This record gives sequence, structure tokens and C-alpha cells, in this order.
Amino acid sequence: MVDRYAFSSGPAGSQLPPCWLALRLHSVLPVERSACTPVADPHTALAWRALQLTPWVAELDGALLLEISGSERLFGGSRALLLKLLTPALAPLACAQGPTALVALGRLWTVGPAVQGDGEVALSDALDWRMPEDTPPADALPLAALPAARVHLPTLERLGCRTWGQLRALPRAGLARRFGAELLGALDRAYGLQSEVYPWLRLPEVFDAPLELAAQVESASALLFGARRLLAQLLEWLRARQRGVLVLELRWELDARRSNALHVDAYHDASGYGRLELRTAQATQDLRHLERLLAEQLARVVLPAPVLYLRLRTLATQALLGESHSLLVDEVRSGDSLHHLLERVAARLGPEQVLCANTQDEHRPERMQRWQPCTVPPSAPKSSSKPSSKPPSKAVTPTTGLQRATEPGALYPSWLLATPQRLQLYQAQPQFHGPLLLLSGPQRIEGGWLDGESPVLRDYFVARSQRHGLLWIYCDRLGDKEGEDAAQWYLHGFFA
Amino acid sequence: MVAQQAFSAFSDASASSALAADALDALHADVWRAHALALTPQRTVATGDALLDLHLPGGGWPVGALTELLQAPGVHNEWRLLAPALARSGSGPLVLVAPPHLPFAPALAAQGVAAQRLLWFKLPPTLVPASAAKGAALGNSHPSNSSAAALWATEQALRCAPVEAVLAWLPQARSEQLRRLHLAAAEHHKLLFVMRSDQARLDASPAVLRLQLSAAADSTLCVELLKRRGPPLDHALHLAARPPALRQWLAASDASQPDPAGRTAPAAPSSAQASAAVRALQPMQPASRTRPRVAGSHP
Repeated sequence: MVDRYAFSSGPAGSQLPPCWLALRLHSVLPVERSACTPVADPHTALAWRALQLTPWVAELDGALLLEISGSERLFGGSRALLLKLLTPALAPLACAQGPTALVALGRLWTVGPAVQGDGEVALSDALDWRMPEDTPPADALPLAALPAARVHLPTLERLGCRTWGQLRALPRAGLARRFGAELLGALDRAYGLQSEVYPWLRLPEVFDAPLELAAQVESASALLFGARRLLAQLLEWLRARQRGVLVLELRWELDARRSNALHVDAYHDASGYGRLELRTAQATQDLRHLERLLAEQLARVVLPAPVLYLRLRTLATQALLGESHSLLVDEVRSGDSLHHLLERVAARLGPEQVLCANTQDEHRPERMQRWQPCTVPPSAPKSSSKPSSKPPSKAVTPTTGLQRATEPGALYPSWLLATPQRLQLYQAQPQFHGPLLLLSGPQRIEGGWLDGESPVLRDYFVARSQRHGLLWIYCDRLGDKEGEDAAQWYLHGFFA
Repeated sequence: MVAQQAFSAFSDASASSALAADALDALHADVWRAHALALTPQRTVATGDALLDLHLPGGGWPVGALTELLQAPGVHNEWRLLAPALARSGSGPLVLVAPPHLPFAPALAAQGVAAQRLLWFKLPPTLVPASAAKGAALGNSHPSNSSAAALWATEQALRCAPVEAVLAWLPQARSEQLRRLHLAAAEHHKLLFVMRSDQARLDASPAVLRLQLSAAADSTLCVELLKRRGPPLDHALHLAARPPALRQWLAASDASQPDPAGRTAPAAPSSAQASAAVRALQPMQPASRTRPRVAGSHP
């Protein structure tokens, strides 16, 4: 795939621009360190992060190989590219650079499991290895650094071959007869005489990552620590795919040795597994928001048995549109976005407790508006809203009194009782914390004949109460039974 | 001509003296003189009542500060006071935390508050009986009771960027909790109104503005300024208690009835025809007798 024929004309290739990166994470990690890495699987996360920078990423001999000749300039030089690759730090790693993948890998071998700390330390170290005196020439690399030569290493040592240069000096025909074409091919690829083709890594279509917990987890909220590492891994995947997550599924495996592992409740279905779905209305890469939603949900879970394994999977994702920023600094308002607020409050109080109003064409006051669970931001245009609902521009601008008088809602009370309150009668007059003075009315409202539900026949009055101000009461003309001569009076709203 | 010159000289003199006063004010902008209302650097939103604006520091509701409205239990006149300001506060959502009744969106839309802007955070029914013991007994220890959940929701709403104003009905809030809300409002520049019971009138409060509302006998809204940044106001303000359209309608229906005094509910009516209210009911009595029978005959 990548030809390096020009390489053969050079003596050792050191003049040529190094266009391969080799990266290896520290393979030997203490167990307690591995539990502290910010992502669940640093190796895969590093590969996904590398895929954001170049399409040619391969895994060979336990190391990642990146072809960066095409993308180095795009990302503003190798320094900027490395900055992107190494921050935020996933885990300690070693890296090397070379004109071909095998040379880069060979140099990584000589660098060994060397010193790469976290963060800035790793970066400053990583930026130094480009100096020519540090990097050994390809001819001086030991044969153990060439993966294809490793099986023949004892024989080659007995021949007196220790470096790549010595091996290359041997006659090709004899080398091919003695060790097979494979070693010769590897040597040709290492010196750029043959094209290098590797099984290139691809991003998976669906994020699905397991995590073995370091210890048994007894309480559901403690699952958050493991889930946070899975979410950090998810972020690498989302960034590489340039997608935002809509629905996530978190599964956990209960310890099957416990008797109540087959517990059944809202989160467990007797299979020994528990699951929980996270939904967000707008595709997001915001981990803090997902973490808070997850914390709210996990606060409700009661684990019947300890948990050893976690698994995070994306059920629905969406391509993320770029965010447009405001040119003016003043326009930036501090705070979260609205759908984050809605989802967070819905996660704690319950989705049916976050309501937005939907006005409808109807004569009965209780049907004029419907408060329904709000999932989309209320300012967004909704397809379900009736044309009767006023355009916001008209409603927002303050109108004159004359305009308001023509609007139908001007004579309605601003508070409505969810269920009309029956009023006591004293000498056929309605009472509410004292006598009521009827100011105006009746306004007759009849409706619901066609619905097949309870029809409404009411006469509405505006009444004044000494203590509560203006009230909206009605006389139910359907309610009077044959036994009662007085009509039923109800309180239905307050003019506040 | 001479008169004109004299007039212009006089107006120059008055203008220069006003200028001098302004300059003096500007010089001592940081000094608040106790007889004057504080010159608040923060933004305000006009209340829609000229009388009230006159007595509020900055001429309106303070943005980014806590405003407290105290009312007798069961009485809720806040829309009358707040709707004009909310109508001109922008186009972002208005969050209502635990309102006591259903806000009637068509009526609020007629007062300028678009129904699309309203967001209602209701407390879960299991939390409504506000006892911490019950919340714990339900195994739902997360929001310990309704008061904590309401406070939490209020603070979350304040931290949301597009939200313009937050109206919270917090009858049980304590002073330190209110201070936290006040700081959140100040940080994110939101209008924050907290409705409390008038039993909290004597309690200390971090609110920069405290008002007590009560309905007066003549349908006006009686507003008492309990606390403001400025000298105390010894008299209560009386604001017209209804939206203008309703006032016109009430006036029109008063005019159509010749004797409004007779419309009061009778203390001891000798007969049912004694009061005009009952007279108003009279014409529909036949209808109410016949309609149920019609409804019954067509099930």
C-alpha cells in the first residue's frame, strides 16, 4: 500500500522524513494501576484515537503502527499530531518513529519499555526522539527487533548476524533458500523495497465494551466508577466516528453464586443480568451529562447480588453536526443547555413530572391546555402543536390593551384547579372562605357532546372573595339531580 | 422674544443644576445615600406597573437576584404581579417549580407569556406529603423530601443557560437554602422569584427584594415592600388587580347591571328572587331542567 522505493537509493534512510509512528502501551501494569487508568481498555482507546488522525493504523507485534505522512501536515506538524494523540493521557506508553513501519517498530524495540510517564512528561519525552543522534540507523537495529527474524534468531546468531545491516549484506538467493521468502520479504519491507500492507484497523460500527471490575461491587452507585471508565472509552469511539450518542445500554452481570442472582425487578429479569437504558434527546458527546444521568438512574437500582462485570453498548447514535459558535462574546451565556436540564430533572423527579404546555382548540377550560411530558426543548417548533397556538413572536411582544381584549384568553383566570372544587352553599349562594360576590356572568360553556364523554353544561361567573380576590366559579347545570333543587357550584380558577 | 430668551436662560440654568447633580451622583456612585434608592448596577426588568417601578431600586425586578413574594397560605396573586415582566423578559423558557395549581396557559398567553415558554417541574406524587420519614420509608432516599427536590430542581433550572426566569413555590425553604439559590441566580443572571408563606415575614432572608401581597377589598392588589435596597416604604401600594381586558369586561358587565349593590349574595333573602345574582340565574333554570333529560334520552 505504501511504497518506499525511493528509500533504496538512500544509504540508511535517515535523511528521509520519518512517516511511521510506532506506539506501545506499557504492557506490564500492576493490577492496582490498571484499575486506575481513565479508560476501560487503553490499548483499544489509543487505537481509536489514532484512527482520528490517520486512516492507516495497524497492530503488529503488540504495538500500534501509524502512517502519518498524509496527515502530519493537516494537523500542523508532528508535534501537534502527537499532542492530539497523547492528551489526555490514557496510560504510560513508549513511541518511536521511522521511515517504514518495521524500522519504527524496531526502534520502539530498542527504546524498550522505556520511560514514559503521564501527561506532560510523556509529551516532552516523546518530542525528543526525533533527534538523529538518538535514533539508531536501520542497519544497526538488532535482529530481535524484526518480528519475522525472531524464529531464526539462534541460527542467525551462530552465523554471526546480529543487526539488520549484517543480514542485508548476505546474498539474497541463499538467504531465501535458507530461511524462506518470508524473512527476505520482511527485510525488503523494512528497507522500503516492497510495499507494506497490514491488516488495517477499523472502527467498530457499534460500541460494545466489557469491563471486569477489580473487586466485587455491592452497591449500585459504586458501579458508576467502572461505568465512568467505560464512558471515557465511549468518548474515544464517538470522537473517532464523529457521532453523538442517543441511547446507551449498561449491563451488569450478577454473581451467579448468590441465591438471589435471579431476582426480578425493573432492572433485573431473572437472567443473572441487570440492564439499564440511558436516553438523551439530543445526540451528545458530553460525558458529564451522561455521567449525571447515569448517576441518577443508578441511585434507584438496588443490586440483589454483587457485580463483577459491566458492559456498555450503544443502541442508537447519530452523526454529530458541528456546533456554531457566536461571534460576539456577549452572547455566550453561562450554564447548561436546556435539554440537559430537562433530562436531568426528568431522571430524578420522573419523566412525567417535567411538563410543557400545549394549547388546544376547545371550549372546555380543562381541555384548552394539555400539560404533557416535555422531551424536546419547548422553544423548538413542534409538529404536534395545533395551529391555534399563537406564534411566539406575537405572544412575546407586549401588546396593547385593545389587542389583548380581542384575544380569547384575556378573560380566563391564570390559575386553574386541576379538579374543580365543590363549593358549599349557604342559602342557595356559593361560599368559599366567606360569601362570594358575583361580579359578572354568566358565560355559558357547553361542550363534549360529540366526544361521547361526559358533556359539560356550565355557567361561569367571576366572583369576588374577601380573602382570595377574584375567583372563577361555575354552576354545573348537568349536576342537579332530581332530588336536589339547588344547582351545584364549583370553583375552577383564580384570577391572580 | 425677551420672554423666549429668559425662558431659555432659565432652562439652561435648570439643566446645568441637574447636570451638576448628575455629576455629583456620578462622582459618588459608590456611595449609597440612605434616603435614596440604591443605584443597582445589575440589570432590571420593568414590572409593567409604573407605580411599582417607581419604588423599586433600578426601576424593576432585579435580574440575577432573589426576589421573595410573601402571601397568605392558599392565596396566589403572583401572576398579576409577574406576568408583564415575564412577557418582556425575552423568549427563553420560564421554569415553574412546584406551582400550587395548574397554570392556565391560554390566560397567560393573553397576558403576553407564551404557552411554549412555560416549563413545569412537578414534584412526584410520592414526595408531595412533605415528610422526610415517608420519603425514607419508600426507599427513595435520593430526594429526601419534596422541599429538597424542589430546591434541587430550582437550582438546576437556574444553572441552565437558555432559561430566562425561575418561579419557585417553596413554602418550607430555609434562609441558607435561599442564599444558595440567590447565589446561583447571581452567577447565571436569572430572574428568580420565590413564593413563600407570609408566616416567613419575620424570618431573615437573603432576598434583595421582599414583597407581601394581599388582595384588597376593592379588587386591587395590595403590595407591601418589606425589604428593598433603599429607605423603607411605610405605605402599601395598591395596584389594579386584573389584566386590562378583564377590567374592561367587568366594567362593561357592571354597566349593564343597573344595581351592582344588589348583586351581593344576600344575607337573609326572604325569597329567591330578591337578589340580582339569582335573577341572573333565573333565565337558564328551564334549560337546566330540560337538558339533562335530553342527555338521558340519548345515551
